[in-house]
Amino acid sequence: MKTILEASNISKTYGKKGTAAYTAIRDLSFSMNEGEFIGIMGPSGSGKTTLLNMVATLDPMTSGEITIDGISVSAMNEDQLSDFRSQNLGFIFQDFNLLENMTVFENIALPLSLRNTKLEKIQAGVHQVSAILGIGDLLEKYPAELSGGQKQRTAIARSLIHEPTLLLADEPTGALDSQNAATLLDTLADLNAERKVSILMVTHDPRSASYCSRLLFIKDGKLDRELFPAGTREEFHQEILAVLGDLDRRPVAGVRI
Amino acid sequence: MILKLAFNGLKKKQRDYLILFTGLIISIAVFYMFLTMSLNKEFILQNSVINNIQAVFLVGTVMLSIITFFYLFYTNSFLLSLRKKEYGLYELIGAKKFQIRRVFQIETMAITAISLAIGLMLGIILARLVSWLLMNSLNVEFTQFKIVYLPAVFWTMAYFLTASFITSTVHNTRLAKSSIIELLHSDMHNDGIPAEPKGSALQILLGIFFLGIGYSALYFMEQLRFIGLFTAPAATTLGTYLLFTALLPNIVRNWKRNKRANFKGLHSFTSGQLNFRLSSLKWVLATIAMLIALSAGAIAGGFAFKNNAFTSIDEYWQYDATLYNPGAAETAVLNSIPVDEQLTFRMKLDDEFMYLVQEELNASPPLIRDFVTYEVVRPDPLPEKLDIVDGSQIISDQWFTALYAINPALEGTKSTRIVPLEEYELAEGEEISILLARTDDFSAYIGEWQKLDELQLDVYTDLFTGFDPKTDSVATKYSQFKAQYAIASGTFFMGFFLGLAFLTMMASILMFKILSGASNDIRRYDSLRKLGVRRRLLENSIYREILVVFLFPGILGLLHVFVGMRMFTFIMDDPYYRLWVSILIFLAIYGGYYFFAVHLYRKIVLPRQ
Ligand SMILES: Nc1ncnc2c1ncn2[C@@H]1O[C@H](COP(=O)(O)OP(=O)(O)OP(=O)(O)O)[C@@H](O)[C@H]1O
Ligand SMILES: [Mg+2]
Repeated sequence: MKTILEASNISKTYGKKGTAAYTAIRDLSFSMNEGEFIGIMGPSGSGKTTLLNMVATLDPMTSGEITIDGISVSAMNEDQLSDFRSQNLGFIFQDFNLLENMTVFENIALPLSLRNTKLEKIQAGVHQVSAILGIGDLLEKYPAELSGGQKQRTAIARSLIHEPTLLLADEPTGALDSQNAATLLDTLADLNAERKVSILMVTHDPRSASYCSRLLFIKDGKLDRELFPAGTREEFHQEILAVLGDLDRRPVAGVRI
Repeated sequence: MILKLAFNGLKKKQRDYLILFTGLIISIAVFYMFLTMSLNKEFILQNSVINNIQAVFLVGTVMLSIITFFYLFYTNSFLLSLRKKEYGLYELIGAKKFQIRRVFQIETMAITAISLAIGLMLGIILARLVSWLLMNSLNVEFTQFKIVYLPAVFWTMAYFLTASFITSTVHNTRLAKSSIIELLHSDMHNDGIPAEPKGSALQILLGIFFLGIGYSALYFMEQLRFIGLFTAPAATTLGTYLLFTALLPNIVRNWKRNKRANFKGLHSFTSGQLNFRLSSLKWVLATIAMLIALSAGAIAGGFAFKNNAFTSIDEYWQYDATLYNPGAAETAVLNSIPVDEQLTFRMKLDDEFMYLVQEELNASPPLIRDFVTYEVVRPDPLPEKLDIVDGSQIISDQWFTALYAINPALEGTKSTRIVPLEEYELAEGEEISILLARTDDFSAYIGEWQKLDELQLDVYTDLFTGFDPKTDSVATKYSQFKAQYAIASGTFFMGFFLGLAFLTMMASILMFKILSGASNDIRRYDSLRKLGVRRRLLENSIYREILVVFLFPGILGLLHVFVGMRMFTFIMDDPYYRLWVSILIFLAIYGGYYFFAVHLYRKIVLPRQ
């Protein structure tokens, strides 16, 4: 199986030289295969968002190396990073980050417009992906006219339309009720299973995590343990709850420098 | 406590305030400068033509004070909208309504006071600059002129403090009427989704119709006179508002219809931004189009008026110099410049009559402008015998004009007798020779004409009993030019600075409107950056978006000016004279504001590199 993401010994230290520095990620390594649906879990402040942002090339790392689809991101300049993001990555943000001044159609089409794709292809793409996500009849609306779940599905459609190598999601269910969250995760799981989209998702929610094919637990900036599903989703859910309880009970091992 | 909180809130919105109040500061400075020019003793004491400048600047002061009042009213309501939410919070934590109102009023007055301090200082510099420029262009010395003129300081302060007190009181009553909830939610309303325009085609047609009426009124101002004077501004303003409010939201809609262009690069985002912006700014933009028309019109009007001093003087004076008994000094001056035509006439004065030689007049009839045909001609030869009715000789209208051209100082003071040479030789009385000289360009030798006028003063004292060079003057082309030019220069500076003040006010409104929404846009640009849009592309989108916002009022405003300048054919020969210079000046200032707005906006919405 092909490795699409390789993070080796990455660290992230916040704070400038001289001021009190804080290391959010320390010496962390993991790799991800094509078609995996990885969940990242951990207590608040453990460095999940920091890790995701580094993989997303939004935040430079202090040391270590990240390779996505065989390309090392640390050597690229700002424009190359921009291009890399628009070509290879899809994002779903916790607060949707839809552009309110554009219609749903325009929002979804944006990644393709940016690559100057032909209009016919854009239209075909938008209709296809919006049909999959069940928002085909909302295309001419503005985000302000949508419900939270519809906005989130629009955001997913936008993150998928250019068929990225890797889909990154930071707490995609954070702003949704349990009903909408379940629908969303079903969608993500379907996409992962049927269209082989690789997904890296940060989540707090054990139920959301139970949809993943592998879970990474992070604590104090380090990889604490890995978990693979065995049995049904409900059994996996229970297992996750147990691990989280265990993580909380153990004394804090993080050190401030 | 509340005061302290309010002060902190004020500090947070520093940038917005600064932008809004540059307009106020410039207006104060120009206001003070105008007042100083119109009230200063220099011009009252100067017993010369220059004291007409006073009136010019007084007109400027009045116009400026009217527009400034509206500007103050407008900015004050922005001020309130900026702080509403904060006031709501104070109320929530237990502040009384009257306390909040007091805070708002104190804030407004404090800002006006600060602006006054800065504006007056700037105004003093401006007064120095303009008086210096005027002295230079008129070639006179101002001895009594004070740039720090206390009555002007007093009236400037009185006007602005009163005006801001009135506007803040009006807004205070509005503040008092709104409930806590209204205040707290005042910034919640996002830009509304632009509604599907209804009946806009009709509105656009109406707008064009009224603009057409306004433009026709401007064009036919000479025929329409008073009706035109009222119809033109009313119909033009109405047309502008109708057209803008209906057209602007539709324009972007139409762009978006071209899907191929819209779904290319960041275009869909840019047009999305514009779609929201233009529909929320349509009223402001229409107002700005009118202010642009006023400001560019004031600059161009002043400029054309200055030029008019040159062209109109040539209308009435065909000869550049009229010299009585020219001596060696005068001849030397004349010899130093290329003279196209030079005529000499003799004249004798006795107690009753002025005698002129008929042969001399017929041999070289001077150029005159015929008042009926308006052409420059030489009068037909005089008939042999001139009848005398009621004690005056009967001559043609053209010769009547010609006599004034030959003898501008004395004609009309005594009865003229045009007589044959023999009769002239017999006449008693002192002989005076008069020399008329003409060049092809009066304006090229202003210095020489001035010198000739000075040299002639001695001759006048000799010739005309009771002539006192300190108080009396003789009408010459140069002296009349100087008078016109003084007023024209005054008008030029007045127009220029009035235009500048209008322009600053409108630019600060526009910039404020763009920038106060920028904090909402930070998130949008951040999202785009995350999605992988290159910085260059984001910058281009900003340049384009703000350009369109600046462009529409700019175009319509300039169109108003192009048509509106015709109105001045009333009082000027060529109101379009070098209009492009004024337009260039305007464009330079307006363009400067555009780039400044882009710069500020970019600094707000894009992360530092
Ligand atoms: N820009 C920053 N500057 C300094 N410290 C930061 C910065 N961003 C995050 N941190 C710190 O790094 C640590 C990890 O933050 P991160 O946002 O990655 O946590 P998280 O795991 O996503 O938490 P949560 O579950 O609450 O979202 C936190 O202690 C945080 O205070
Ligand atoms: Mg986080």
